[in-house]
Amino acid sequence: MISFNFLDKPYAKVIFVGYSIILLGCINLLQIQANENISIYSIKQFVWLVISLAITFFVLRLRLRTLKNISTFFYIFSIVLLILVLFIGKEVSGAKSWINILGFTFQPTELIKISYVFLIAKIYSELGSYSGSLVIKYFIGFSLFLLPFILILFQPDFGSAFMLFVVSMSVILSFSFNKKYLLGLILLASLISIPVWNNYLEPYQKQRIINFIYPENDPKGFGYNVIQSKVSIGSGKIFGKGLGESSQAKLGFLPENHTDFAFSVWAEQTGFLGSLIILILYGFIIIFPLTFLKDINDLFLKVILYGLCSYFFFHFIINILMTMGLFPVIGIPMILFSYGGSSLICASFGFSVLALILKDYRDYNRLGV
Amino acid sequence: MAYSFRSSISILIIAIFFGIVFFKLLFLQIVEGDKYKRISQNNFLREAIIPSPRGTIYDRNGVKISYSRPMVNLYIKNSSKEKGLQLISKLKNNNINLNKIDLDNIFDKNNNSFLRQRILIKKDLSIEDIYIIDTKFSSYENIELISDYLRVYPYNEIGSHLVGHLTANDKKDVTYGNLLSNRKGAVGIEWDQDDELSGTVGAEYFFVDSRGDEVSFENLNYNYAEIEKGKDIHTTIDIELQRIIYRSFDKLNGAVMVSNVNSGEVLSLVSKPGFDPNLFSKPISSKQWKKLKDSPDKPFLNRAFLVSNPPGSIIKIVTAVAGLEEKKVSKDTTFYCPGSTKIGNREFRCWLRGGHGNVNVSKALITSCDVYFYKLGLRLGINKFSDWLSKFGVGELHEDFPFKQRLGTIPSKNFINKYLDGNFYNGDLANVSIGQGYLTLNVLQAHKMISIIANNGEFVKFRLYKNQEIIKDKLLEIDEKNLQEIKKGLVGVVNDREGTGFQARVDDKVAGKTGTAQVISKDSKKYGYGKFKNHGWFTAYYPSDKPEIAITVFAEHGDSGGSAGGPIIKQIISYYKKNYLENND
Repeated sequence: MISFNFLDKPYAKVIFVGYSIILLGCINLLQIQANENISIYSIKQFVWLVISLAITFFVLRLRLRTLKNISTFFYIFSIVLLILVLFIGKEVSGAKSWINILGFTFQPTELIKISYVFLIAKIYSELGSYSGSLVIKYFIGFSLFLLPFILILFQPDFGSAFMLFVVSMSVILSFSFNKKYLLGLILLASLISIPVWNNYLEPYQKQRIINFIYPENDPKGFGYNVIQSKVSIGSGKIFGKGLGESSQAKLGFLPENHTDFAFSVWAEQTGFLGSLIILILYGFIIIFPLTFLKDINDLFLKVILYGLCSYFFFHFIINILMTMGLFPVIGIPMILFSYGGSSLICASFGFSVLALILKDYRDYNRLGV
Repeated sequence: MAYSFRSSISILIIAIFFGIVFFKLLFLQIVEGDKYKRISQNNFLREAIIPSPRGTIYDRNGVKISYSRPMVNLYIKNSSKEKGLQLISKLKNNNINLNKIDLDNIFDKNNNSFLRQRILIKKDLSIEDIYIIDTKFSSYENIELISDYLRVYPYNEIGSHLVGHLTANDKKDVTYGNLLSNRKGAVGIEWDQDDELSGTVGAEYFFVDSRGDEVSFENLNYNYAEIEKGKDIHTTIDIELQRIIYRSFDKLNGAVMVSNVNSGEVLSLVSKPGFDPNLFSKPISSKQWKKLKDSPDKPFLNRAFLVSNPPGSIIKIVTAVAGLEEKKVSKDTTFYCPGSTKIGNREFRCWLRGGHGNVNVSKALITSCDVYFYKLGLRLGINKFSDWLSKFGVGELHEDFPFKQRLGTIPSKNFINKYLDGNFYNGDLANVSIGQGYLTLNVLQAHKMISIIANNGEFVKFRLYKNQEIIKDKLLEIDEKNLQEIKKGLVGVVNDREGTGFQARVDDKVAGKTGTAQVISKDSKKYGYGKFKNHGWFTAYYPSDKPEIAITVFAEHGDSGGSAGGPIIKQIISYYKKNYLENND
C-alpha cells in the first residue's frame, strides 16, 4: 500500500493535483499520430515534466520574502525578453513569439502573465489597501499591463494579448474595486468600439470577428476546427473510444490536436467520465487555494494567490469553452494539459508558488519571512 | 469583509463557468453523442462493396435461361496522376491491351474529389491478363482486381418479356462506381424474384485520413460484411418450346401462352418481337435505346398482357356454354343459317356467304357459324352473357402474375351505363356474341377461358415457379352433358371436314377454336388495307380425351386464326407429344 499521508497537507494536494494534470496530459498525447507507437509530443512533454519537478523542488525551498524581492526584476526580465523577441524571435505561423535561449525555444508571453501578477502584488501591498490610493492603483495597474500588451500585439499574438488582458483586469478590478470606475471603463470601451466597428473596420475584418463568434458560419475556415473539435468531444460519448483510439486526431481531422485541442482528443479517448476527471482536477487547483484567501493577512500573498488562480482559471476555461464552440478560437492551449514547454514550465512554477504560499503563509503571517 | 466577499464571489463565478462546461459536455457527449459518433465515423470510414452474383434462373429441365458471368475488372487505387500514368505504362509494357482509355480525363475527374475513388482501368480481363497482373504486379499495392458479374441471357430475345432484364440501380458504390452486379430486375421474372435473386452484397471497410488518402489503421477494427449469393430460381418454363414457338411465328408478330391445365405450370409465354435483354446488363447506349424505343414493331410491348383485342370467334365457346347452361338452347336446337340474318334494320352476315344451313351447337362451333351465335346471343340477353364472361374471368386481371396486364372491356352493366348511356341495342348484342364490338381481352384471359373448358370447369392458377403451390379454383359448375357437347364441337374444329382449324391437326386429339378479330382502324385508310390485316386467334387444348396442355395463340395481323395460328399450334403439340407424352411411355 502506498501511503497518501503526505496528501494531508494542503500544499501537497496542490502539487499532487498539478502533476496529475500534467501526467494525464502526457498520457493523452501518447498516441495521437497514425501508425506511430508513442508520439514524440508525449515524450517531449514528459521531459518537460521532469524539468518542472526540479522547478517545484526549487520553489518549495524558497522563502516567501524572496518572491517579493525578485518581483521587480522578474517583470523587467520578462519585458526585456518581449522586446528581444521582436528582434531575434523565430517566426512561427505569422507571429514572432519564440525566442531561442541556449538551444531551448521559449515563449516570453507565458512569463509576463506571471511576472505581471508578481509585480502588481508587490506594488499593491506596498500601497496598502486604503481607498485613497485607488486612482494610483488603477494607473499603475494599467500602465504595467499596457507596456507588455502592446509589445505582444507587435508580434502579433492576439490570443496571448487577450489572456494578459483578462488576467490583469481580474487582478486590478478585484483589488481596487470601484463601481464608478468599472462602469466608466465599460462605457468608455463601448463608446470607442461602436464607431470603430462602424467606420474603421473593413467588411472582411467584421466577417472575421463574426466568424469568431459563430464558427458554424464558416465551416471551411476557423469553423472547421471547432466543428471537428465538437465531433471529437461528442463522439467520445460516456466512456470514450479508449486511449490511442482518437480517430479524429490520428487521421488528421482535428488540427492542433496536441495544443489547442488537446482536451478534445482527451474527451474523445476517455469520454464524459474522463472529461469529468479533468474538470474536477482543474476545479480543485483553481478553487482550493482561493479558500485560503481569508486566512492570509499579507496583501502581497493575497494578490499573488488570487492572480495565479485567475491565471489558471482563465487559461483553462477559455480553452475548454473554445474546444466546445462556446468561445472564439484564439489559439490558447489548455494550461498544464496541452503540449508546450514554456507554458508548462510557467504553469508548474505557478502552482508551485501557490503550494509554497499554502505551505508557509502562517509563518509569514507571524514572522514576515 | 471585503476580502472574504471577494473570494466567495470569485468562487461563485468560477463555479458558474464550470457548470456551463459540465452541461455542455453532458449535451455533447451524452445527449448528442450518437450523432457525433456517426459524424466521426463518416469522417474516416469508407465502405467498398464486394459484389455478389445474382442467382441463376433455370427452365424446367435445368437449362440456364439467365445467369451471372463473373468478370474481373482492373482498378487503380489511391494514386496520384503521375503514379497512375506510370502504372498504366507498365501495364502496357506487359502487353495488357488498354485501348479506349482517355488517360487525362480519368485522373482529372478524380482530382477534385475529396474522396479518391478507385479508377477503373479495364473491364472484363482475359485469363492471360489476370495471369500477367498476378505474377508481375503482385507487389504493387496500387492495383486492385475486383470481380463483378455480368448478367447473361443465352436465349437473347426469345424469352425477353418473360424472363425480363436488369436496369440501373440508384445505389452507386462510392468506391467502385457503377458495378454491373449492382443492377436490379426491371421486368418479368428478374423483377418478380428480385429479392430472391439479388442476394446480399458484402462490404469491406477501410479508413481514409483528412486528405482522403487510404490509411491502414490497426487499432480500429471494423468487420467485413460477408457476401451472400443470390438464390437460384427454378421455373416451369420449357425454354426449348419457347424457342420453337418464337421461330414458328416466322415473319408474324404476336403472343403465345402454353400451360399445363392440371398443374397450372406455364410452359411458354412468348411475345414477339422481343429484344435482346443482354443489352440491359450494362448501361445501354442512348442510340441503342432510342432505336428500340422508336421501332414501329414496339419490341417492349408485351403482347400477351398489354394488348387487348376483340376475341373474335373464340368467344363463341362462352356464348355456347352460356346458351346451354341457361337452357336457351339444347344440344339439338338448330338455327337455320342462310348466310345472313336481319336484326332490326341491319343485315348481319355470316362469314360464309352461302350459309351453313341447319346448325346445332356443336356444328355451330365447328363451322364457326355467325348466324347461330347472333340468334343465341339475342336469346341470352346482354346481362346473362356478360355474367358468363365474368365467370370465365374475362375482364379480370390475373392476380399473382408478375406482369403488367391490361384489363380489356366486357359489356357489363357498369360499362354500358358509363360509356353508352345505358343504351345497348340488339345489334351490339349480336356483335359481342361473336366476339366483336364492345368486347376485348388479352391472351392471358383467352388462355384462362380455354383452360377452364379443358379442365371441366376447374381452374388451376397459372404459376411460373416450381416451388409455387398449386391452387385450384372451382370456378363454375357446367353440366357434364353440356360440356361434352362443347368439347365435341372443339374437337370438330380441328378434325371435322368442315372445321376451321384443320391446320393444327397432329392427331385426332387436338381440340380448339379459331377466331378472327376485325381490325377496325382509322389508320387502315391511311396505310392501306394490307398492312392492317385482321388479327388471328387460336386457342386449343391437347389431348382432347384427357387434357394436359392449353395453348393460346394470338397472331397480330395474321389474317385468320386458322391459317396463322394453326401451324404454330401444330408445332407446339408435336413438340409436346414427342417430349412429354412419348417419353413417359
